[in-house]
Amino acid sequence: MNVLWIGVKRGWAENLHVMKDRRELVTQLVGTVGVFALLLVWMGDKPVRGTDVSNGTFMTAGFLAFTVFSAGLMSLPMMISADREDGTLLRLRIMPRGIPVYLVGRGVTLLCQITVQCALILGVGVAVGGVTAPHWATVAWVVALGTLAVVPLGAAIGCLMPSPKSAGAILGLPMMALMVVSGVMIPVTVMPEVVQWIAQAFPLYWQGLGLRSAFLPDSMLAAEIAGSWRPAFTAAVLGGWALAGILLAPVLLRRATRRESGSRLAERRLAAQAA
Amino acid sequence: MSTAIEVRGLRMSYGAADVLRGIDLDIPRGEVFALLGPNGAGKTTTIEILEGFRGRSAGEVQVLGVDPERGGDAWRARLGMVLQTWHDHRRWQVRELVAHLGSYYDDPRDPDELLAALGLTEQAAQRVGLLSGGQRRRLDVALGIVGRPDLLFLDEPTTGFDPEARQEFHRLIEKLAADEGMTVLLTTHDLVEAERLAGRIAILVDGRIAMHGAPADLARAVQAQSRVRWVEDGEERARATDDPSALAWELHRRFDGPVPGLEVRRPSLEESYLDLVGRAA
Repeated sequence: MNVLWIGVKRGWAENLHVMKDRRELVTQLVGTVGVFALLLVWMGDKPVRGTDVSNGTFMTAGFLAFTVFSAGLMSLPMMISADREDGTLLRLRIMPRGIPVYLVGRGVTLLCQITVQCALILGVGVAVGGVTAPHWATVAWVVALGTLAVVPLGAAIGCLMPSPKSAGAILGLPMMALMVVSGVMIPVTVMPEVVQWIAQAFPLYWQGLGLRSAFLPDSMLAAEIAGSWRPAFTAAVLGGWALAGILLAPVLLRRATRRESGSRLAERRLAAQAA
Repeated sequence: MSTAIEVRGLRMSYGAADVLRGIDLDIPRGEVFALLGPNGAGKTTTIEILEGFRGRSAGEVQVLGVDPERGGDAWRARLGMVLQTWHDHRRWQVRELVAHLGSYYDDPRDPDELLAALGLTEQAAQRVGLLSGGQRRRLDVALGIVGRPDLLFLDEPTTGFDPEARQEFHRLIEKLAADEGMTVLLTTHDLVEAERLAGRIAILVDGRIAMHGAPADLARAVQAQSRVRWVEDGEERARATDDPSALAWELHRRFDGPVPGLEVRRPSLEESYLDLVGRAA
Protein backbone atom coordinates (compact mmCIF):
# COMPACT_ATOMS: atom_id res chain seq x y z
CA MET A 1 0.00 0.00 0.00
CA ASN A 2 1.31 3.44 -0.69
CA VAL A 3 2.17 6.19 1.73
CA LEU A 4 -0.70 8.47 0.81
CA TRP A 5 -3.38 5.85 1.33
CA ILE A 6 -1.95 4.56 4.64
CA GLY A 7 -1.60 8.19 5.76
CA VAL A 8 -5.21 8.98 4.95
CA LYS A 9 -6.36 5.91 6.84
CA ARG A 10 -4.15 6.87 9.78
CA GLY A 11 -5.52 10.41 9.84
CA TRP A 12 -9.07 9.17 9.68
CA ALA A 13 -8.49 6.68 12.50
CA GLU A 14 -7.00 9.45 14.65
CA ASN A 15 -10.10 11.50 13.96
CA LEU A 16 -12.39 8.72 15.10
CA HIS A 17 -10.37 8.49 18.32
CA VAL A 18 -10.93 12.18 18.99
CA MET A 19 -14.63 11.78 18.29
CA LYS A 20 -14.83 8.86 20.71
CA ASP A 21 -13.12 10.90 23.38
CA ARG A 22 -16.07 13.11 24.13
CA ARG A 23 -14.26 15.57 26.36
CA GLU A 24 -11.69 16.34 23.71
CA LEU A 25 -14.37 16.70 21.04
CA VAL A 26 -16.34 19.10 23.18
CA THR A 27 -13.25 21.19 23.99
CA GLN A 28 -12.38 21.36 20.33
CA LEU A 29 -15.82 22.42 19.19
CA VAL A 30 -16.95 24.56 22.09
CA GLY A 31 -13.62 26.38 22.04
CA THR A 32 -14.05 28.38 18.88
CA VAL A 33 -17.57 27.63 17.72
CA GLY A 34 -19.13 28.14 21.15
CA VAL A 35 -17.50 31.52 21.67
CA PHE A 36 -18.55 32.49 18.18
CA ALA A 37 -22.20 31.52 18.77
CA LEU A 38 -22.28 33.47 22.05
CA LEU A 39 -20.85 36.60 20.46
CA LEU A 40 -23.26 36.24 17.59
CA VAL A 41 -26.31 36.06 19.84
CA TRP A 42 -25.04 38.92 21.97
CA MET A 43 -24.13 41.47 19.33
CA GLY A 44 -24.40 39.77 15.94
CA ASP A 45 -27.37 41.62 14.53
CA LYS A 46 -26.11 45.14 15.25
CA PRO A 47 -24.46 46.80 12.26
CA VAL A 48 -20.76 47.65 12.29
CA ARG A 49 -20.72 51.35 13.19
CA GLY A 50 -21.26 53.64 10.20
CA THR A 51 -22.12 50.79 7.79
CA ASP A 52 -25.04 48.57 6.87
CA VAL A 53 -23.03 45.35 7.40
CA SER A 54 -23.93 43.33 10.52
CA ASN A 55 -21.36 42.54 13.21
CA GLY A 56 -22.23 38.89 12.63
CA THR A 57 -21.03 38.93 9.04
CA PHE A 58 -17.76 40.63 9.99
CA MET A 59 -17.23 38.17 12.83
CA THR A 60 -17.94 35.13 10.65
CA ALA A 61 -15.13 36.06 8.31
CA GLY A 62 -12.83 36.68 11.28
CA PHE A 63 -13.62 33.44 13.08
CA LEU A 64 -13.14 31.39 9.94
CA ALA A 65 -9.71 32.90 9.45
CA PHE A 66 -8.81 32.34 13.08
CA THR A 67 -10.04 28.73 13.03
CA VAL A 68 -7.72 27.78 10.19
CA PHE A 69 -4.88 29.76 11.70
CA SER A 70 -5.14 28.33 15.22
CA ALA A 71 -5.66 24.77 13.95
CA GLY A 72 -2.46 25.02 11.95
CA LEU A 73 -0.29 26.98 14.33
CA MET A 74 -1.67 25.99 17.75
CA SER A 75 -3.34 22.56 17.59
CA LEU A 76 -0.89 21.00 15.15
CA PRO A 77 2.32 21.97 16.97
CA MET A 78 0.81 20.72 20.22
CA MET A 79 -0.22 17.43 18.58
CA ILE A 80 3.26 16.93 17.13
CA SER A 81 4.90 17.82 20.39
CA ALA A 82 2.68 15.32 22.22
CA ASP A 83 3.40 12.64 19.60
CA ARG A 84 7.09 13.22 20.11
CA GLU A 85 6.82 13.12 23.88
CA ASP A 86 4.94 9.81 24.07
CA GLY A 87 7.12 8.07 21.48
CA THR A 88 4.61 7.95 18.63
CA LEU A 89 7.05 9.75 16.34
CA LEU A 90 9.87 7.43 17.35
CA ARG A 91 7.70 4.38 16.70
CA LEU A 92 6.94 5.64 13.21
CA ARG A 93 10.54 6.56 12.58
CA ILE A 94 11.63 2.94 13.04
CA MET A 95 8.98 1.70 10.62
CA PRO A 96 9.39 1.87 6.87
CA ARG A 97 7.47 4.86 5.43
CA GLY A 98 6.68 5.94 8.99
CA ILE A 99 7.45 9.67 8.86
CA PRO A 100 5.75 10.45 5.51
CA VAL A 101 2.71 8.45 6.63
CA TYR A 102 2.67 10.41 9.86
CA LEU A 103 2.75 13.77 8.06
CA VAL A 104 -0.05 12.79 5.70
CA GLY A 105 -2.04 11.45 8.64
CA ARG A 106 -1.70 14.62 10.67
CA GLY A 107 -2.61 16.67 7.59
CA VAL A 108 -5.79 14.65 7.17
CA THR A 109 -6.71 14.93 10.85
CA LEU A 110 -6.26 18.66 10.68
CA LEU A 111 -8.20 19.08 7.44
CA CYS A 112 -11.14 17.21 8.94
CA GLN A 113 -10.95 19.36 12.04
CA ILE A 114 -10.79 22.58 10.02
CA THR A 115 -13.61 21.49 7.71
CA VAL A 116 -15.93 20.58 10.57
CA GLN A 117 -15.22 23.78 12.48
CA CYS A 118 -15.58 26.01 9.43
CA ALA A 119 -18.83 24.31 8.45
CA LEU A 120 -20.16 24.79 11.98
CA ILE A 121 -19.16 28.44 12.06
CA LEU A 122 -20.75 29.10 8.68
CA GLY A 123 -23.85 27.15 9.64
CA VAL A 124 -24.23 28.92 12.98
CA GLY A 125 -23.55 32.25 11.28
CA VAL A 126 -26.19 31.80 8.62
CA ALA A 127 -28.80 30.12 10.86
CA VAL A 128 -28.39 32.13 14.09
CA GLY A 129 -26.71 35.32 13.02
CA GLY A 130 -28.51 36.02 9.75
CA VAL A 131 -25.15 36.22 8.01
CA THR A 132 -25.52 36.92 4.31
CA ALA A 133 -24.28 34.11 2.10
CA PRO A 134 -20.65 34.70 1.07
CA HIS A 135 -18.98 34.26 -2.28
CA TRP A 136 -18.42 30.51 -1.91
CA ALA A 137 -15.61 30.09 -4.42
CA THR A 138 -13.57 32.75 -2.65
CA VAL A 139 -14.19 31.11 0.75
CA ALA A 140 -13.05 27.79 -0.67
CA TRP A 141 -9.76 28.95 -2.16
CA VAL A 142 -8.84 31.20 0.73
CA VAL A 143 -9.47 28.47 3.31
CA ALA A 144 -7.64 25.87 1.21
CA LEU A 145 -4.62 28.03 0.52
CA GLY A 146 -4.66 29.34 4.08
CA THR A 147 -4.57 25.77 5.38
CA LEU A 148 -1.61 24.98 3.15
CA ALA A 149 0.09 28.13 4.40
CA VAL A 150 -0.10 27.20 8.09
CA VAL A 151 -0.03 23.38 8.25
CA PRO A 152 3.58 22.76 7.17
CA LEU A 153 4.64 25.76 9.20
CA GLY A 154 2.79 24.37 12.21
CA ALA A 155 4.56 21.03 11.75
CA ALA A 156 7.90 22.84 11.71
CA ILE A 157 7.02 24.76 14.87
CA GLY A 158 5.85 21.55 16.54
CA CYS A 159 9.29 20.00 16.02
CA LEU A 160 10.92 22.90 17.82
CA MET A 161 8.72 22.76 20.92
CA PRO A 162 10.53 21.30 23.92
CA SER A 163 7.40 19.65 25.39
CA PRO A 164 3.63 19.65 24.90
CA LYS A 165 3.12 21.48 28.18
CA SER A 166 5.41 24.33 27.27
CA ALA A 167 4.11 24.38 23.68
CA GLY A 168 0.79 25.79 24.85
CA ALA A 169 2.52 28.42 26.95
CA ILE A 170 5.04 29.39 24.28
CA LEU A 171 2.51 29.61 21.47
CA GLY A 172 -0.51 31.02 23.29
CA LEU A 173 0.60 34.61 23.75
CA PRO A 174 2.04 35.33 20.29
CA MET A 175 -1.06 33.77 18.72
CA MET A 176 -3.39 35.99 20.73
CA ALA A 177 -1.32 39.05 19.92
CA LEU A 178 -1.32 38.16 16.25
CA MET A 179 -5.06 37.66 16.30
CA VAL A 180 -5.62 41.10 17.80
CA VAL A 181 -3.38 42.94 15.37
CA SER A 182 -4.30 40.99 12.24
CA GLY A 183 -7.65 42.63 11.73
CA VAL A 184 -9.71 39.47 12.01
CA MET A 185 -11.69 40.82 14.98
CA ILE A 186 -10.93 44.55 14.89
CA PRO A 187 -10.37 46.46 11.62
CA VAL A 188 -6.63 46.62 11.01
CA THR A 189 -6.73 50.29 10.00
CA VAL A 190 -7.38 51.35 13.61
CA MET A 191 -3.90 50.02 14.47
CA PRO A 192 -0.71 52.13 14.30
CA GLU A 193 1.08 51.81 10.97
CA VAL A 194 4.03 49.82 12.39
CA VAL A 195 1.61 47.23 13.71
CA GLN A 196 -0.11 47.08 10.32
CA TRP A 197 3.20 46.22 8.69
CA ILE A 198 3.93 43.50 11.23
CA ALA A 199 0.45 42.05 10.76
CA GLN A 200 0.92 41.94 7.00
CA ALA A 201 4.00 39.78 7.36
CA PHE A 202 1.91 36.89 8.72
CA PRO A 203 -0.58 34.68 6.90
CA LEU A 204 -3.42 35.38 9.34
CA TYR A 205 -3.91 38.94 8.07
CA TRP A 206 -4.16 37.76 4.45
CA GLN A 207 -6.47 34.93 5.27
CA GLY A 208 -8.76 37.34 7.10
CA LEU A 209 -8.63 39.78 4.22
CA GLY A 210 -9.45 37.09 1.67
CA LEU A 211 -12.41 35.90 3.72
CA ARG A 212 -13.72 39.42 4.29
CA SER A 213 -13.65 39.90 0.54
CA ALA A 214 -15.98 36.90 0.30
CA PHE A 215 -18.41 38.11 2.95
CA LEU A 216 -18.40 41.89 2.85
CA PRO A 217 -19.64 44.34 0.22
CA ASP A 218 -17.14 46.69 -1.43
CA SER A 219 -18.56 49.50 0.68
CA MET A 220 -16.45 48.08 3.52
CA LEU A 221 -13.19 48.65 1.66
CA ALA A 222 -12.72 51.95 3.49
CA ALA A 223 -11.59 49.94 6.54
CA GLU A 224 -8.90 48.04 4.60
CA ILE A 225 -5.28 48.93 3.98
CA ALA A 226 -4.97 50.55 0.50
CA GLY A 227 -8.76 50.47 0.21
CA SER A 228 -8.62 47.23 -1.79
CA TRP A 229 -9.19 43.45 -1.26
CA ARG A 230 -5.86 42.80 -3.01
CA PRO A 231 -6.73 39.18 -4.04
CA ALA A 232 -3.58 38.62 -6.10
CA PHE A 233 -1.41 39.78 -3.23
CA THR A 234 -3.35 37.53 -0.84
CA ALA A 235 -2.74 34.50 -3.04
CA ALA A 236 0.94 35.38 -3.40
CA VAL A 237 1.61 35.81 0.32
CA LEU A 238 -0.34 32.72 1.39
CA GLY A 239 1.33 30.75 -1.40
CA GLY A 240 4.73 31.97 -0.25
CA TRP A 241 4.10 30.83 3.32
CA ALA A 242 2.84 27.47 2.04
CA LEU A 243 5.98 26.97 -0.02
CA ALA A 244 8.29 27.96 2.82
CA GLY A 245 6.52 25.59 5.19
CA ILE A 246 6.56 22.69 2.75
CA LEU A 247 10.31 23.10 2.24
CA LEU A 248 11.06 23.53 5.93
CA ALA A 249 8.79 21.00 7.64
CA PRO A 250 10.29 17.69 6.41
CA VAL A 251 13.81 18.89 7.19
CA LEU A 252 12.91 19.91 10.74
CA LEU A 253 10.82 16.81 11.35
CA ARG A 254 13.64 14.57 10.21
CA ARG A 255 16.06 16.44 12.43
CA ALA A 256 13.74 16.31 15.42
CA THR A 257 13.31 12.53 15.10
CA ARG A 258 16.85 11.68 14.10
CA ARG A 259 18.13 12.70 17.50
CA GLU A 260 15.48 10.56 19.15
CA SER A 261 15.95 7.19 20.75
CA GLY A 262 14.44 5.00 23.40
CA SER A 263 16.79 6.09 26.15
CA ARG A 264 16.43 9.79 25.33
CA LEU A 265 12.67 9.37 25.42
CA ALA A 266 12.90 7.72 28.82
CA GLU A 267 15.18 10.48 30.11
CA ARG A 268 12.75 13.18 29.03
CA ARG A 269 9.87 11.27 30.56
CA LEU A 270 11.65 11.10 33.88
CA ALA A 271 12.42 14.80 33.72
CA ALA A 272 8.79 15.60 32.93
CA GLN A 273 7.60 13.46 35.83
CA ALA A 274 10.02 15.11 38.20
CA ALA A 275 8.99 18.62 37.15
CA MET B 1 25.33 -14.02 3.94
CA SER B 2 25.35 -15.71 7.32
CA THR B 3 26.23 -12.86 9.66
CA ALA B 4 23.44 -10.69 11.05
CA ILE B 5 25.60 -8.32 13.07
CA GLU B 6 29.28 -7.59 12.71
CA VAL B 7 30.99 -5.05 14.92
CA ARG B 8 34.70 -4.18 14.96
CA GLY B 9 36.38 -1.79 17.35
CA LEU B 10 33.21 0.11 18.21
CA ARG B 11 33.90 3.16 20.33
CA MET B 12 31.62 5.83 21.66
CA SER B 13 32.52 8.81 23.77
CA TYR B 14 30.44 11.72 24.98
CA GLY B 15 32.87 14.53 25.50
CA ALA B 16 35.60 13.15 27.70
CA ALA B 17 33.55 10.19 28.89
CA ASP B 18 34.23 6.89 27.07
CA VAL B 19 31.05 4.83 27.10
CA LEU B 20 32.22 2.12 24.71
CA ARG B 21 35.92 1.32 24.54
CA GLY B 22 36.31 -0.98 21.56
CA ILE B 23 33.67 -3.65 21.10
CA ASP B 24 33.81 -6.61 18.71
CA LEU B 25 30.73 -8.72 18.05
CA ASP B 26 29.82 -11.41 15.53
CA ILE B 27 26.26 -12.59 15.63
CA PRO B 28 25.32 -15.22 13.06
CA ARG B 29 21.84 -15.41 11.58
CA GLY B 30 19.29 -17.30 13.60
CA GLU B 31 21.10 -16.89 16.90
CA VAL B 32 19.65 -15.52 20.12
CA PHE B 33 22.40 -13.37 21.56
CA ALA B 34 22.38 -11.64 24.92
CA LEU B 35 24.33 -8.57 25.83
CA LEU B 36 24.62 -8.90 29.58
CA GLY B 37 25.93 -6.30 31.96
CA PRO B 38 25.21 -4.01 34.88
CA ASN B 39 23.41 -0.71 34.42
CA GLY B 40 25.65 1.87 32.83
CA ALA B 41 27.88 -0.69 31.13
CA GLY B 42 26.94 0.62 27.68
CA LYS B 43 24.32 -1.96 26.64
CA THR B 44 21.70 0.53 25.55
CA THR B 45 24.28 2.70 23.80
CA THR B 46 25.47 -0.36 21.88
CA ILE B 47 21.98 -1.45 20.85
CA GLU B 48 21.00 2.08 19.87
CA ILE B 49 24.04 2.36 17.62
CA LEU B 50 23.09 -0.95 16.01
CA GLU B 51 19.50 0.26 15.58
CA GLY B 52 20.73 3.41 13.88
CA PHE B 53 19.55 5.81 16.59
CA ARG B 54 23.00 7.00 17.56
CA GLY B 55 26.18 7.81 15.75
CA ARG B 56 29.47 6.33 16.91
CA SER B 57 32.91 7.74 17.55
CA ALA B 58 34.85 4.98 15.81
CA GLY B 59 34.62 1.43 14.53
CA GLU B 60 32.97 -0.66 11.84
CA VAL B 61 29.34 -1.70 12.20
CA GLN B 62 27.32 -3.85 9.82
CA VAL B 63 23.75 -4.82 10.62
CA LEU B 64 22.25 -7.13 7.99
CA GLY B 65 25.08 -6.00 5.75
CA VAL B 66 24.33 -2.29 6.10
CA ASP B 67 25.98 0.44 8.16
CA PRO B 68 23.15 1.59 10.49
CA GLU B 69 24.10 5.24 9.98
CA ARG B 70 23.16 4.82 6.34
CA GLY B 71 20.22 2.45 6.69
CA GLY B 72 17.14 3.40 4.68
CA ASP B 73 13.54 2.24 4.66
CA ALA B 74 14.28 -1.10 3.00
CA TRP B 75 16.84 -1.91 5.69
CA ARG B 76 14.58 -0.75 8.51
CA ALA B 77 11.76 -2.93 7.21
CA ARG B 78 13.90 -5.99 8.04
CA LEU B 79 14.39 -4.97 11.67
CA GLY B 80 12.09 -5.22 14.66
CA MET B 81 12.75 -3.09 17.71
CA VAL B 82 11.39 -3.34 21.20
CA LEU B 83 12.78 -0.42 23.15
CA GLN B 84 12.84 -0.11 26.91
CA THR B 85 9.58 1.75 27.35
CA TRP B 86 6.83 2.65 24.95
CA HIS B 87 3.88 4.88 25.75
CA ASP B 88 2.76 5.67 22.23
CA HIS B 89 -0.58 5.34 20.45
CA ARG B 90 -2.51 5.20 23.69
CA ARG B 91 -5.85 6.00 22.11
CA TRP B 92 -5.70 3.22 19.54
CA GLN B 93 -7.26 -0.16 20.03
CA VAL B 94 -4.88 -3.10 20.23
CA ARG B 95 -5.94 -4.91 17.06
CA GLU B 96 -6.44 -1.68 15.15
CA LEU B 97 -2.88 -0.58 15.92
CA VAL B 98 -1.31 -3.92 15.03
CA ALA B 99 -3.17 -3.98 11.71
CA HIS B 100 -2.35 -0.33 10.97
CA LEU B 101 1.37 -0.52 11.68
CA GLY B 102 1.50 -3.85 9.85
CA SER B 103 0.23 -2.12 6.71
CA TYR B 104 3.52 -0.19 6.48
CA TYR B 105 5.25 -3.45 5.53
CA ASP B 106 4.97 -5.37 2.31
CA ASP B 107 4.27 -8.75 3.89
CA PRO B 108 2.90 -8.25 7.40
CA ARG B 109 1.73 -10.96 9.74
CA ASP B 110 -1.95 -11.55 10.18
CA PRO B 111 -3.01 -9.37 13.13
CA ASP B 112 -5.35 -11.96 14.63
CA GLU B 113 -2.78 -14.75 14.50
CA LEU B 114 -0.20 -12.42 16.01
CA LEU B 115 -2.48 -11.41 18.87
CA ALA B 116 -3.30 -15.06 19.51
CA ALA B 117 0.41 -15.96 19.58
CA LEU B 118 1.04 -13.24 22.14
CA GLY B 119 -2.02 -14.00 24.25
CA LEU B 120 -3.66 -10.69 23.50
CA THR B 121 -6.80 -11.94 21.75
CA GLU B 122 -9.01 -10.91 24.66
CA GLN B 123 -7.51 -7.41 24.59
CA ALA B 124 -8.02 -6.93 20.83
CA ALA B 125 -10.67 -4.25 21.26
CA GLN B 126 -9.11 -2.65 24.32
CA ARG B 127 -7.48 0.75 24.24
CA VAL B 128 -3.69 0.54 24.28
CA GLY B 129 -3.48 3.06 27.12
CA LEU B 130 -5.48 0.75 29.39
CA LEU B 131 -3.25 -2.32 29.06
CA SER B 132 -1.30 -3.63 32.04
CA GLY B 133 2.50 -3.41 31.97
CA GLY B 134 2.93 -7.01 30.84
CA GLN B 135 0.23 -6.74 28.18
CA ARG B 136 1.75 -3.52 26.87
CA ARG B 137 5.14 -5.23 26.64
CA ARG B 138 3.63 -8.11 24.68
CA LEU B 139 1.97 -5.61 22.37
CA ASP B 140 5.37 -3.97 21.86
CA VAL B 141 6.78 -7.34 20.86
CA ALA B 142 3.81 -7.84 18.51
CA LEU B 143 4.57 -4.49 16.88
CA GLY B 144 8.25 -5.41 16.77
CA ILE B 145 7.60 -8.59 14.77
CA VAL B 146 4.50 -7.61 12.75
CA GLY B 147 6.70 -6.92 9.70
CA ARG B 148 8.41 -10.37 9.86
CA PRO B 149 11.83 -8.92 10.69
CA ASP B 150 15.03 -10.87 10.12
CA LEU B 151 16.52 -9.34 13.23
CA LEU B 152 14.79 -8.39 16.46
CA PHE B 153 16.27 -6.04 19.07
CA LEU B 154 14.98 -6.38 22.62
CA ASP B 155 16.29 -3.76 25.04
CA GLU B 156 15.82 -4.89 28.67
CA PRO B 157 12.62 -6.71 27.73
CA THR B 158 11.50 -7.84 31.17
CA THR B 159 12.36 -4.89 33.38
CA GLY B 160 9.49 -4.32 35.78
CA PHE B 161 7.91 -7.74 35.20
CA ASP B 162 6.71 -9.94 38.01
CA PRO B 163 8.27 -13.43 37.99
CA GLU B 164 5.26 -14.99 36.32
CA ALA B 165 5.13 -12.47 33.50
CA ARG B 166 8.86 -12.93 33.05
CA GLN B 167 8.46 -16.70 32.67
CA GLU B 168 5.72 -16.21 30.13
CA PHE B 169 7.80 -13.72 28.20
CA HIS B 170 10.78 -16.08 28.12
CA ARG B 171 8.62 -18.86 26.69
CA LEU B 172 7.38 -16.45 24.02
CA ILE B 173 10.87 -15.41 22.88
CA GLU B 174 12.06 -19.04 22.85
CA LYS B 175 9.11 -19.97 20.69
CA LEU B 176 9.68 -17.10 18.27
CA ALA B 177 13.34 -17.89 17.88
CA ALA B 178 12.70 -21.60 17.44
CA ASP B 179 9.76 -21.32 15.03
CA GLU B 180 10.90 -18.45 12.88
CA GLY B 181 14.66 -18.71 12.92
CA MET B 182 14.73 -15.03 13.74
CA THR B 183 17.98 -13.48 14.95
CA VAL B 184 17.46 -11.86 18.33
CA LEU B 185 19.77 -9.48 20.14
CA LEU B 186 18.64 -8.75 23.67
CA THR B 187 20.17 -6.73 26.45
CA THR B 188 19.62 -7.60 30.07
CA HIS B 189 21.24 -7.13 33.44
CA ASP B 190 19.82 -10.43 34.60
CA LEU B 191 22.20 -13.37 34.28
CA VAL B 192 19.42 -15.93 34.67
CA GLU B 193 17.48 -14.39 31.82
CA ALA B 194 20.52 -14.34 29.54
CA GLU B 195 21.33 -17.96 30.41
CA ARG B 196 17.80 -19.09 29.75
CA LEU B 197 17.24 -17.32 26.43
CA ALA B 198 20.53 -16.89 24.70
CA GLY B 199 22.64 -19.27 22.66
CA ARG B 200 25.57 -16.99 23.33
CA ILE B 201 26.19 -14.26 25.85
CA ALA B 202 28.59 -11.35 25.84
CA ILE B 203 29.24 -9.70 29.17
CA LEU B 204 29.65 -5.99 28.79
CA VAL B 205 31.41 -4.26 31.65
CA ASP B 206 32.48 -0.66 31.65
CA GLY B 207 32.33 -0.27 27.88
CA ARG B 208 34.24 -3.46 27.06
CA ILE B 209 33.26 -7.04 26.40
CA ALA B 210 34.72 -8.76 29.42
CA MET B 211 33.87 -12.24 28.22
CA HIS B 212 31.72 -14.01 25.70
CA GLY B 213 30.56 -17.46 24.71
CA ALA B 214 27.83 -20.07 25.21
CA PRO B 215 26.31 -20.04 28.70
CA ALA B 216 28.09 -23.25 29.71
CA ASP B 217 31.50 -22.04 28.47
CA LEU B 218 30.84 -18.77 30.13
CA ALA B 219 30.03 -20.43 33.41
CA ARG B 220 33.40 -22.14 33.26
CA ALA B 221 35.31 -19.09 32.09
CA VAL B 222 33.65 -16.65 34.38
CA GLN B 223 33.99 -18.97 37.38
CA ALA B 224 35.73 -17.03 40.07
CA GLN B 225 38.35 -18.86 42.09
CA SER B 226 37.19 -21.15 44.85
CA ARG B 227 38.21 -20.37 48.41
CA VAL B 228 39.80 -23.06 50.50
CA ARG B 229 40.13 -22.52 54.24
CA TRP B 230 41.87 -24.57 56.88
CA VAL B 231 43.57 -24.18 60.24
CA GLU B 232 47.32 -24.58 60.48
CA ASP B 233 49.53 -23.90 63.55
CA GLY B 234 46.41 -22.61 65.32
CA GLU B 235 45.92 -19.99 62.70
CA GLU B 236 43.18 -19.73 60.12
CA ARG B 237 44.51 -19.88 56.56
CA ALA B 238 42.71 -19.24 53.30
CA ARG B 239 43.71 -19.50 49.67
CA ALA B 240 41.89 -18.75 46.43
CA THR B 241 42.48 -21.35 43.75
CA ASP B 242 41.26 -22.49 40.36
CA ASP B 243 41.71 -26.11 41.39
CA PRO B 244 40.40 -26.58 44.95
CA SER B 245 40.57 -30.35 44.67
CA ALA B 246 44.31 -30.34 44.00
CA LEU B 247 44.91 -27.98 46.90
CA ALA B 248 42.87 -30.19 49.23
CA TRP B 249 44.92 -33.23 48.17
CA GLU B 250 48.12 -31.32 48.76
CA LEU B 251 46.94 -30.30 52.24
CA HIS B 252 45.93 -33.85 53.08
CA ARG B 253 49.38 -35.08 52.21
CA ARG B 254 51.04 -32.30 54.14
CA PHE B 255 48.98 -33.01 57.25
CA ASP B 256 49.19 -36.71 56.55
CA GLY B 257 45.56 -37.11 57.60
CA PRO B 258 42.49 -35.00 58.20
CA VAL B 259 42.97 -31.30 57.63
CA PRO B 260 41.67 -29.25 60.59
CA GLY B 261 38.82 -26.82 59.72
CA LEU B 262 38.97 -27.67 55.99
CA GLU B 263 36.35 -25.82 54.02
CA VAL B 264 36.00 -25.52 50.23
CA ARG B 265 33.64 -22.99 48.74
CA ARG B 266 32.82 -22.81 45.05
CA PRO B 267 31.09 -19.59 44.04
CA SER B 268 27.84 -19.83 42.11
CA LEU B 269 27.69 -18.56 38.55
CA GLU B 270 25.82 -15.55 39.80
CA GLU B 271 28.47 -14.77 42.39
CA SER B 272 31.13 -15.21 39.75
CA TYR B 273 29.35 -12.80 37.47
CA LEU B 274 28.97 -10.23 40.23
CA ASP B 275 32.62 -10.72 41.08
CA LEU B 276 33.57 -10.05 37.46
CA VAL B 277 31.38 -6.98 37.30
CA GLY B 278 32.71 -5.76 40.64
CA ARG B 279 36.33 -6.29 39.68
CA ALA B 280 35.98 -4.15 36.57
CA ALA B 281 34.07 -1.35 38.24
